[in-house]
Amino acid sequence: MLVQALIKPNTYFDSVSLMSLSTKANQIDGVEQAIIAMGTEMNKEVMKNVGLMTPEVEEAGASDLIIVVKAETEELFENAFLSINELFTKRDSGKKGKSDIKYSTISSAVENNPDANLAIIAVNGAYAAREARKALENNLNVMMFSDNVSVEDEIALKNLAHEKGLLMMGPDCGTAIIGNTALCFANAVRKGDIGIVGASGTGSQEVSVRIHEFGGGITQLIGTGGRDLKEEVGGIMMLDGIQALEDDEETKVIVLVSKPPAPSVEEKVLAKIKTCKKPVVVWFIGGDEEKITAAGGHFAKMSKEAALKAVLLAGADESKLNKRALNIPLIEDVRTKLKPEQRYIRGLFSGGTLCDEAMHAAMEKFDNAYSNIARNPEYRLKDRYTSQEHTFIDFGDDEYTQGKPHPMIDPSTRLDRFMQEAKDPSVGVIVMDFVLGYGAHEDPVGAFLPAIMEAKLLAEQEGRHLEIIGYVLGTELDPQDYEEQINKLLAAGVTHASSSQNAGLLAREFVVKGE
Amino acid sequence: MLKTVSGDVEFLQKLNSSKFTGSVHSTFNRTFNIKCHQNGELYTIACRNVDNGPNTLIIDVDNIRPMEIAVNDQVFTKKNILHIGNKLAISFKNVNKWVSVVPGYPSNEEILNQNLKKLKKFIDIHGKSGGIKKHELPNSLFEAKMSSMLELRTNLLLDELAEDRMSSALEHAISIIGLGPGLTPSGDDFLVGLFTSFSMLNGPFYGRRSFCEDVVSKAKTLTNDISWMALQKASTGKVRESIILLLNALLGENEADLFLSLNKVLNIGSSSGTDIALGLVGGLEANIKAGGKVYVSTSID
Amino acid sequence: MSKINELFKGKPNVINVGIESFKEDLAKQGAEVIHLEWTPPGRGNHALIAALDKFENPAIMQKIEEANKLAVERIINSHPILIGYDQAINCVPGMTKKTILHAGPPITWEKMNGPMKGAVTGALVFEGLAKDLEEAAELAASGEITFAPCHEHNCVGSMAGVTSASMFMHIVENKTYGNIAYTNLSEQLAKILRMGANDQSVIDRLIWMRDVFGPILRDAMKLNPEGIDLRLMLAQALHMGDECHNRNVAGTTLLIQALTPYILQTDYTIEQKKEVFDFVASSDYFSGPTWMAMAKCALDAAHGIENSTIVTTMARNGVEFGIRVSGMPGNTWFTGPAQKVVGPMFAGYKPEDSGLDIGDSAITETYGFGGFAMATAPAIVALVGGTVEDAIGFSTKMKEITTTQNPNVTIPLLDFMGLPTGIDVRKVVQTGIMPVINTAIAHKEAGIGMIGAGITYPPVEAFEKAMLALNENIH
Repeated sequence: MLVQALIKPNTYFDSVSLMSLSTKANQIDGVEQAIIAMGTEMNKEVMKNVGLMTPEVEEAGASDLIIVVKAETEELFENAFLSINELFTKRDSGKKGKSDIKYSTISSAVENNPDANLAIIAVNGAYAAREARKALENNLNVMMFSDNVSVEDEIALKNLAHEKGLLMMGPDCGTAIIGNTALCFANAVRKGDIGIVGASGTGSQEVSVRIHEFGGGITQLIGTGGRDLKEEVGGIMMLDGIQALEDDEETKVIVLVSKPPAPSVEEKVLAKIKTCKKPVVVWFIGGDEEKITAAGGHFAKMSKEAALKAVLLAGADESKLNKRALNIPLIEDVRTKLKPEQRYIRGLFSGGTLCDEAMHAAMEKFDNAYSNIARNPEYRLKDRYTSQEHTFIDFGDDEYTQGKPHPMIDPSTRLDRFMQEAKDPSVGVIVMDFVLGYGAHEDPVGAFLPAIMEAKLLAEQEGRHLEIIGYVLGTELDPQDYEEQINKLLAAGVTHASSSQNAGLLAREFVVKGE
Repeated sequence: MLKTVSGDVEFLQKLNSSKFTGSVHSTFNRTFNIKCHQNGELYTIACRNVDNGPNTLIIDVDNIRPMEIAVNDQVFTKKNILHIGNKLAISFKNVNKWVSVVPGYPSNEEILNQNLKKLKKFIDIHGKSGGIKKHELPNSLFEAKMSSMLELRTNLLLDELAEDRMSSALEHAISIIGLGPGLTPSGDDFLVGLFTSFSMLNGPFYGRRSFCEDVVSKAKTLTNDISWMALQKASTGKVRESIILLLNALLGENEADLFLSLNKVLNIGSSSGTDIALGLVGGLEANIKAGGKVYVSTSID
Repeated sequence: MSKINELFKGKPNVINVGIESFKEDLAKQGAEVIHLEWTPPGRGNHALIAALDKFENPAIMQKIEEANKLAVERIINSHPILIGYDQAINCVPGMTKKTILHAGPPITWEKMNGPMKGAVTGALVFEGLAKDLEEAAELAASGEITFAPCHEHNCVGSMAGVTSASMFMHIVENKTYGNIAYTNLSEQLAKILRMGANDQSVIDRLIWMRDVFGPILRDAMKLNPEGIDLRLMLAQALHMGDECHNRNVAGTTLLIQALTPYILQTDYTIEQKKEVFDFVASSDYFSGPTWMAMAKCALDAAHGIENSTIVTTMARNGVEFGIRVSGMPGNTWFTGPAQKVVGPMFAGYKPEDSGLDIGDSAITETYGFGGFAMATAPAIVALVGGTVEDAIGFSTKMKEITTTQNPNVTIPLLDFMGLPTGIDVRKVVQTGIMPVINTAIAHKEAGIGMIGAGITYPPVEAFEKAMLALNENIH
């Protein structure tokens, strides 16, 4: 008679299961005796006493599960252990949960889950409109992450949504917060009483994060997609979004975030603001203050300002807020470090609106700021691989993402460009954003650290100071560790900007000459 | 998101007041354990059909299995929500708080004596054998040997306790740790029951609680984490609600209550409940016997 | 309150289409989320997507929905009754002495595969039209023989489906709509004509079936004026663990139980009756053809409804897989290449020995049992190389491409869900989910027979062609 043992390290089964497993193991053909027990010293002692000790059992610890089998032949053991293992694995495959049932169409998913109320559509643009329409027809609100959807489809979808009283966020909408839940690319922010309607994703993210930092919170953040305020679409979603937030009992203040709308659309939006019963803060990047104020809106020139106005309108005590004014001594210090030829800003952004904001800050003092997203063709970059004077690049723009994930997920394109700029002796400051939140890279700063260190060293060897400004868009509630991200930047000698607004202003101030 | 029905007050305080992170240590049908990164203790999340216990949250669900929680899933809290990987989010706001309170020792042992007799008879008929309670016909030589070792050693332990000979009692207590079948070996379960009787305020052994701590300090390497945790908690008077209810019933005069609460204990695990109940009985009897020999302090502070 | 403001009230309950990491982020935040198993509709083909879009135009959609509702009602309400047995020449419409019916869509002699050629030549010898197989092959090629699909003569035929004039047929009448469907008798065993076998033992068995087995069944049913309620019996068989395509043990027991009292009352000898019972007992497959005729009877009643996109036939001739759709009346077939059948093989055979998918038996799936009801037959999931969980998955998945559930025939394991009924061409094209078919595997050479069993799927082309044709037809 032979004895063999099988040890399952750190395996816990409840006693009832162990008992039934033990009973079944003893019934396996060819098994003379089978024992299943935890490998405690005392149990091992018993085994020794009854002649069931093996070297494996000797080795087993108190948290290990021991299976000892007594049988006639090697073959029988093999069979027995196979059967016993089967008994164990059988126990593991319980019934699948509800979420594991697969559905192929929106209709069947809705039919089986009547509580569903929102669809996220992130498929190839050629099929996206169709799926979105199905979702709307099934009375789902829609967030359409897909781009490359025709304007005709966008208009048809938005009209359908409008008729049915549903949200049609997108196409090309990457950011929303609904019911305190971040959708696609958004940050974890406090629940509060400020609602946002945004045509630009990172702009909305920035405002939501600033509101959070000022102690305020968000009811809903509705994305419209970048084209909503164009002439053809006519701002359908923004107008419906404002209405929805006006109707929402929890929302006290509304913030609008967008590039300046087409004139006809601007008119409609301003008319809407005029009749809106709630205060509306408007941040149209580079927008016209007079018109907005005339319509009763609260004009904000920059992102932080928009957030600040919103929290004040929502009742925050201004005296208690840390507004994070620009650090003037720092500016003076950096200016003295830069050589006369280090004149230019190079802004390398993953967030389009952050790029836009920094560029607008620069444009106030310089007339030689270029960008791939400049509205004025004169200031459009001639070659996307070569910088001109002050250059601001949105790496999220289509021409840089061909076949690659968005720079918020894949830093490679921006990394290459960063090294190129770091070597340019005419560069005074490089400004970059690092976006945290759901959807984003798990450690965006970490991905850049080696390059930053290398760049700093290189500049030092060449006897110049390379000023790098880093802005971390995020909150302490985000899945990434916000503070750790900032600390990594600081440790690498990067100047940390406390907001997108400050990042743009600091970059500008560092290289402004002769003031 | 799942709601917590009730929870151990200490666990809730820990969740509310500080950073709590950990990883899943072990999973069962109706419970799973989390090993806390901060203090290394095990915490249990259990279905609503499980009773309250030390370091335990009861959540509003019937079965754990379908969630497919796996060992090493990361556990963290955020905004009053306990997250188990991305598989489960448990809110612990507005929860019934539960505290383990072992009742005081009765001034008159008459009722307790009678109840213990009834209890032993009931266990004799309905208790599960295989652990402390012997199988009439053991299935194997292994089982026979184990049962006789358990019987011998628990009897020695109780005898020494009744004589208030703590140092030799300690030796015998240690000799049953990790001994027996099941996830929590029978010897450990027996000690959990026994320790409960030490925690009765003003009881003969109340002043001897250091005995429990001594046993626990030796037990760490002799048994598995899950069983050790139960022992460690029991040594400071923290045991499952069903055990507390049984002890309360033993001090009262309602027979139905007594058997109902006993039944609940007997249903723990396979033979675990029976082992716990026998430990409690043994402990209470030893208390009674030792009563005359132990100096009882009347002012506790 | 608008639906938007309702949405604002709590955590969103999300259906996620596309990027899966969004689902994970949502789940992390405690939101309910379902991730769709999504593929581009119509495999991304623009003409198909345009057709799908057109069919979603409300006015057109209403027409289609109404037509489909009628079609599935007719399938469900059909009440097929086995009313008798007789020789094909006596009952099958359009049958002649020189007609050979075969399985699947139309096919010429030249194009037939090995098993079907084997069956055709065997049948010609059996009918006395040729003295041996060689002569039979010449005759078949001569143009003197009329070949036609069973389906075009109100028949179905399992595997090669070869049916000739003197073979005995089931006669199944639709009590609700009056139409009649036919199919020939099971030859039991593996080495049989329908699998392409055609040696003397096969011919001898056919002769016995013609001279003894068939007549006894015919005369027995003459004594049963009520007929046998096949829909009820199908429902019972499913509850007893059959899916009535690859597993027929319960159905066969029920059927012979119903036939026995009448068989006993016929004037044949005890020996002959015993031969009949022994023959039936020799294979569980005896009732297999019966269920096919039952399904055919119900589906024919749903064929030819204007604007309907419901599939009424799925059939294979070993070379092509063909479907017919209710809204395309008559014998309009949409075909694609027949597929391989994947499953365990009998000892000694390898996958490369298999002939391609063949037979009219997919009529069972068209009705909603067979592969669609895999969850009723956990005993054979191993046969088709899966687990019980897979079996349940098949049945629930078929809900995605069907129109309704048949309350008359239910699946206990799925909480008595009715059979998924009414395959909708639109849904197949939209989801890319193909109907699952349980079937047998015949050897690719003539004369060998069945060598395994498994599951297969139709070619997607058949459905795509049907979709485009419907697009032309429905306005």
